[in-house]
Amino acid sequence: MALSRGLAASHAPNILLEPGSEWEEFMQLHYSMAPQASSSRPSLESQKKLRADAEKAFAVLRSDLEASRPDVLIVVANDQFVNFFFNNIPTFFVTLAEEVKGQFTRHKFHYRNHKELGRTILEAGLEKGIDFSYGEYVELQHTQVVPLYFLLPEPKIPILPIYVNTWVDPIPTPRRCYQVGELIREVANAQRERIAILATGGLSHFPGSPRIGEIDTQFDHKLLEIMRGGKGRTLADYSLEQILQAGDSEFLNWMVVLGTVGDAKAASTFYMPDHVATGWGFASWKL
Amino acid sequence: MSSYHLNRFLFDLKMHEQLFNKALANVNEAMNQYDLTPEEKDALAAGDPRKLRPLGAHGMLALYIMRLHPDFRTNVYWSQK
Repeated sequence: MALSRGLAASHAPNILLEPGSEWEEFMQLHYSMAPQASSSRPSLESQKKLRADAEKAFAVLRSDLEASRPDVLIVVANDQFVNFFFNNIPTFFVTLAEEVKGQFTRHKFHYRNHKELGRTILEAGLEKGIDFSYGEYVELQHTQVVPLYFLLPEPKIPILPIYVNTWVDPIPTPRRCYQVGELIREVANAQRERIAILATGGLSHFPGSPRIGEIDTQFDHKLLEIMRGGKGRTLADYSLEQILQAGDSEFLNWMVVLGTVGDAKAASTFYMPDHVATGWGFASWKL
Repeated sequence: MSSYHLNRFLFDLKMHEQLFNKALANVNEAMNQYDLTPEEKDALAAGDPRKLRPLGAHGMLALYIMRLHPDFRTNVYWSQK
């Protein structure tokens, strides 16, 4: 079995922004869409505690990742108008680049891309009826580098970015995302290399919406409970409306990883709403 | 409803420094490079993202109009993607 670990983590920019002025600027911008939400903004002490709590969660995930000795880390994330625009929005996209780079404020990122694994997944998809888009150049963005800053700060192994359109209507169903994950599991288990997979994003948030600042913590806790029980398969039955109403469209990235980990129970989960925009969620599966 | 050219202008405002600088100098001239309706131009000139969404701007792209606001030009948001 070549699958070594499944992980999922939020990618909210403020996880990596410094508490204080950077957080304040971030909140100020987002609240221009909904000034009424700004009354709930967290204090500096709360910001620092959130950062510390997120670092603790990431430390557990990083320890799990390193203990699984992966040769490559697949990163399932959504593009947010960096690589794709309305002239071409791929529903699922596999990166076939030699290398991938990106920058987040003062932090620079540069990884080898495992294009051979990408091509294998692409070809397996064509064989099985899942037709990925693909391309030989992408720029990394916060949806990948925020978790990678904590999980893979040194580019010791290559990554493989896979994109899911979770942002631009119409988006794929939870079931289809789960099927993509199943395909990745089938491919991964036929490889000699040890393969870990990370989903990023979520949990509940409403970016760019008048509902910014609302976080459906009840729905998020339910998702995490289902994952701890190894019942991720049942989430494929959820409708898009259920997911969208809770502000959990980026959970579609997690649905891919749920398809890959199958009925494994999430060994660790963490959750902390940031009182700004997003329910920060984290999960790890031993495979 | 979506408006390709409205979204394109907003996207370029964040992603292309040339357009950003041109819009800073003269927003009307910058907008004239795009196939925008008078209503879209008025909403962009107003600089309020809440007025752009009803015209078909994606919510996150609508926020990019804030880059032209004097209080937001150096916001940390523009130093990440």
